[in-house]
Amino acid sequence: MITNKVLARRSFLRGLGTAIALPVLDAMAPAFASQLPGKTPIRMGFVYVPNGMDIRNWNLDYEGKLGKLSRIMSPLEPFKDDMTVFGNLTQNNGRALLDGAGDHGRCAGAYLTGVHVKKSAADIHSGISCDQIVANKIGSQTRFPSLELGMDDARQAGDCDSGYSCAYTNNLAWRSETQPLPPILDPRALFERLFGADAGLTPEQRGRRNKFRRSILDFVSDDTRKLESNLGPTDRRKLDEYLSSIREVERMLERAEKDNAQIDPHMPKPYGVPADFAEHFKLMTDMMTIAMQADLSRVFTFMVTREGSLRSYRELGIPDGHHPLTHHRNDPALMEKVAQINTYHVKQFAGWMEKLKSIKEGDRSLLDNSMIVYGAGLCDGNRHNHEDLPTVLLGRGGNTITPGRRVVVRRETPITNLHLSMMDRMGVNVDHFADSTGRLNGLNLS
Amino acid sequence: MQFPQGKPPVGIIFDSAMGSRIDDVLAMALIYGLDSKNEARMVSVSVSRSNISSASFSEAIGRFYAGAVSGDFGAIGRNLPVGLATDGRINGETPMLSVPLDKKDKDGKPVYAHGIHQLVDTAEVSALIRNAFTSQYDQNCIVVLAGPATNLLQTLRLTGVKELISQKVRLLSVVAGDFGSGPAEFNIKADIAAARELFAEWPTQIIFAGAELGAQLKYPATSIESDFSYTQDHPVVDAYKAFRAMPYDAPAPGVAAVLAAIRPKESYFKMSPSGTIKVLDDGRTQFIASPTGKHQYLISDPEKKDAVQKVMIELVSAKPVPKAPRFRRNQKKDAVDPAKPAVLEVPPPPVKE
Repeated sequence: MITNKVLARRSFLRGLGTAIALPVLDAMAPAFASQLPGKTPIRMGFVYVPNGMDIRNWNLDYEGKLGKLSRIMSPLEPFKDDMTVFGNLTQNNGRALLDGAGDHGRCAGAYLTGVHVKKSAADIHSGISCDQIVANKIGSQTRFPSLELGMDDARQAGDCDSGYSCAYTNNLAWRSETQPLPPILDPRALFERLFGADAGLTPEQRGRRNKFRRSILDFVSDDTRKLESNLGPTDRRKLDEYLSSIREVERMLERAEKDNAQIDPHMPKPYGVPADFAEHFKLMTDMMTIAMQADLSRVFTFMVTREGSLRSYRELGIPDGHHPLTHHRNDPALMEKVAQINTYHVKQFAGWMEKLKSIKEGDRSLLDNSMIVYGAGLCDGNRHNHEDLPTVLLGRGGNTITPGRRVVVRRETPITNLHLSMMDRMGVNVDHFADSTGRLNGLNLS
Repeated sequence: MQFPQGKPPVGIIFDSAMGSRIDDVLAMALIYGLDSKNEARMVSVSVSRSNISSASFSEAIGRFYAGAVSGDFGAIGRNLPVGLATDGRINGETPMLSVPLDKKDKDGKPVYAHGIHQLVDTAEVSALIRNAFTSQYDQNCIVVLAGPATNLLQTLRLTGVKELISQKVRLLSVVAGDFGSGPAEFNIKADIAAARELFAEWPTQIIFAGAELGAQLKYPATSIESDFSYTQDHPVVDAYKAFRAMPYDAPAPGVAAVLAAIRPKESYFKMSPSGTIKVLDDGRTQFIASPTGKHQYLISDPEKKDAVQKVMIELVSAKPVPKAPRFRRNQKKDAVDPAKPAVLEVPPPPVKE
């Protein structure tokens, strides 16, 4: 159906205590427009994995067009044309710089701030992170200036690494030099934050809803029917897929809450967190996808597990803690376990990328309109070195990045140069960021 | 890197146009000689000659000394990234670079190993030097500029670096200028604008070793022929012989700049009054005395000329001395690897701070 009628980009399906933002639909563009020129938002995200990497099984030994990927990166094989693999990026401020032990605390604290954080368990001092600089600039255009997610530990106090506060190891985003933004760990909390499922409900209404466990889609069914009657077949299909994905998240949450009563997750978890790592990851990233699709936020950070994480991976047959394993002293058996954990993390990430790539926004995919960095704040977890950080960028930043390559920059090039280049693409134009020395050459060949 | 016994020896940041003058090689050798005596530590090496061989040879020298001084651990742990200017005013390969780099052993392998074969093997200069500053104790760093000012100026221009230099650096020692009546000196002339801005903006004291000083302090060919016989292959010897037809004595202002900076108490040279060194449009340098000026230039002291010559030869040609490895966890202090008896030949002098 061709129509000149334009649906507002900021349309919502409303119902009892619920407002569900809509994804990009053709009806939001003028007739014949296949996309929204200049208006399709670009999203920026950072996915952080701890304890460095088994670097032998991560690094590629070539530059230029991506060919065979390494063992750890192999789950990303279907996305070779969508990814840029970096070599030699350095975080100098993660180094000791005369402050002694504490590489885990420093590297996480510096990862997005580019700052050499103050060594203290109580008197924290870092810097504003690049995601928050972007959020400050463009955050008013979305419901949430930024979203901070995690899956492990959100403690904000105490000593988590040789005198470094847990605020450094457990957060990526810093609103100010002294104010980290703790990640949301509980999928239910994230769901309710995104969709306001309980907002505005009286205790009676909340109780009635919980009793009958109704989907939030039920609350917006009237609006949904009205909207569908005005949409063409393509938009109807998109809307159906979008609402189905929300329903699927709800089902996973319900299942997780039910399973939690029966499964021993081997670690304390808040209510609503799935015992299964992969399921938890999928739940969090499914909601991030919805948030991206509905333009609820354009800035994301996701701390998969906290820096220095001791998590075990029994689902892989690895009962040892992740961090102790990385100090493997070149024991092949321990190194193999580290490689398995690293690969497992990438596999979950690849599942998310598949979803982002499958969602269309005009002629492009949601992934095309994104820049998502997957990386670690340490290079080799055994050596604790801060140069050649494992870093992959997924997406094309709205056709401003030419992916499909391995870009090896010169040694000591600050990773903040990458951050600065990403900030440019998000509309934040500043001379420098933290210890950057310039923009990153080679992001865009064209 | 931790130094449980207190401050480490002064950190040296060395920037040259390696390949232009043999003096640069002699200055590096001198720094490594002082390093082996625990009087200094080389913490950053960079070149302003935009040629890969310039960086390759600088790294080869570093590896030669690191491996010899500290054994296998040193060869791994003390290999510094080498910064290379991509927009330097000097480029091209010279025999003093190519001859030693091309030298092969009987198995056809390079005699002087290095790991720099392409641009990405080198470091971004301004980040490298800035990062080296950040890891030094306050006032425990000396910068030796033995080439054009290009690299150092780029570093100085980075946000926050001027303050960092004020905090960390005690002295900039520059091999440049002519404080006699000579023509414009090579390093200044190569990038006049950079020299002018650097000297004006640099926040610490600067000492200069000019061309006229080099004319009076020369490294003798006889030392090259005789004092390095402890090893069959030495990069300093091969570079020296390739630089110019032997025998010749090489002007050594770079050696003077290093000696004066690291051993100031020895007063090997006289110092000019304080003042300001101005770079003229044609590249010549003009000294204007001023009690508040931060610049001084070195003057040859006839009374100490022979002593300086002797010290220079002794340190530049010194056989690298194995250092006792630092105590590491899981390692007994007195553990000895019988395959590599790293016995101290000469006890290191106490750290001067």
